[in-house]
Amino acid sequence: MSKGDLSMKFVYIFLIITLFTFQGCTTKEANPKVNHPQNKPDSMTSDPLSMSTPDDPEKENQTEGFEEEFNEGFEEEFSAQETNTTSDPLSGYNRWMTSFNDTFILYALNPISEGYATILPQPLRLGVSNAIDNLQFPIRFANNLLQGKFQNSADELGRFIINSTVGLAGLIDVATNHMTTPIPAHDEDFGQTLGYYGVGSGFHVVLPFLGPSNIRDIAGITADAYLSPLVNVRGLENYKIPKNLGQSIGIYAIHTINKTSLHLGEYENLREDAVDLYPFFRDTYEQKRNSEIAE
Amino acid sequence: MLQKVIIVLFLSIVSLDALEEQNIQKVTDIKVRQVLNILKDKTLSQKQKDAKNVRIIDDIFDFDIMSQISLGKQWKTLTKNEKTRFSKAFEKKIKHSYLDKLRLYNNEKVIIKDLKKIKSNRITLETQVIGLDDTYKVIYLFYKKKQTNQWYIYDVELVGVSIIQTYRKQFSEFLRTKTIKQLIESL
Repeated sequence: MSKGDLSMKFVYIFLIITLFTFQGCTTKEANPKVNHPQNKPDSMTSDPLSMSTPDDPEKENQTEGFEEEFNEGFEEEFSAQETNTTSDPLSGYNRWMTSFNDTFILYALNPISEGYATILPQPLRLGVSNAIDNLQFPIRFANNLLQGKFQNSADELGRFIINSTVGLAGLIDVATNHMTTPIPAHDEDFGQTLGYYGVGSGFHVVLPFLGPSNIRDIAGITADAYLSPLVNVRGLENYKIPKNLGQSIGIYAIHTINKTSLHLGEYENLREDAVDLYPFFRDTYEQKRNSEIAE
Repeated sequence: MLQKVIIVLFLSIVSLDALEEQNIQKVTDIKVRQVLNILKDKTLSQKQKDAKNVRIIDDIFDFDIMSQISLGKQWKTLTKNEKTRFSKAFEKKIKHSYLDKLRLYNNEKVIIKDLKKIKSNRITLETQVIGLDDTYKVIYLFYKKKQTNQWYIYDVELVGVSIIQTYRKQFSEFLRTKTIKQLIESL
């Protein structure tokens, strides 16, 4: 997923302010409320769940069995793939920002997106999403090239040409949905390019509104912002759609609301899986990035 | 006596459904279709759907091994009673989370892709879920159980995120400051 659609200046200013403001909090456990997002016992599901765990007389024997299985390399397999989060100097701030973002999503972004979804019919929202994705083509094209994935770059170029023309300025994803041999998308960003050349993730940073990230990916977002036609950069006005910071933020806001409206309920659903919100989102983010880089 | 007959019957049903290497792809495909049909069936209540879906995955998911991996080295320090209680709680949590995810189902298409043999006792099966504006990669990880020579799922990777790894990480952090008893309660 490319996240280059926000003016970097904005991110940096916010980051600096928040870092200074919450420096003092780093040792405190911020907001104990988020530590235990309990899912309430749901009478709807408790039935099928309990009926499917019969009191199996085999259970006792099986427990002995596990110990053997355990030595079959599961431990090595999983510890080898573990994300490296031993160094987390911003954990206090990150925790706070995770709960800030969480509140923002639950009480602002989601209700707004729901309202938006009732006004705009789904095909239109899909069109907006396609068009914005289409405009991010330079990021994907350049980063595929930088990683030497020439076939992918060619695919992206083909998609851009077809979707921009036959697909009515990107509103319709013709290349994926209406071709006998669909051209697949190849999402790459500069954070992945850095990772591809062996740059480590650096420590984890939760960005306001943008969510989980890390030092490497912040550098990536910055570089991609120059390529994205949707983020204003002084001196490149002719290439950029927004003419100032306000317009960049506006486009980003619409993009985010539109995207959320196509995935309503998913965030709430995902956060239910967390034992503790911050490490949960940190780990899923780092795992996802690692696998995207490995692809 | 009757109890014994029931157990024998139960076991024979299980082994019919259990996975041999050559039919992993076929059985998974059938099971995915079954789940999708249940989700699309408008005559069923949510509760009936949940019950049916749990039954479908029950015999190919190895919840015991999942709970064991999720605790990692800590597992060995548990008493027998704690192990059983933890496994039960964890199984419930995973099933709950799985059913929750299925509720988001919105006519996505599922394609079964390649089966890869990683080593003699590990197989991965890649599937693709085609949603509205995105395609997601879902990989099922199978291992071969020594005692039975059957294959079971021990982990699922959604868009590169391993479910069991995520729990593992969270549990190890949780147990750094809290006890296993508190963990079982929080599940």
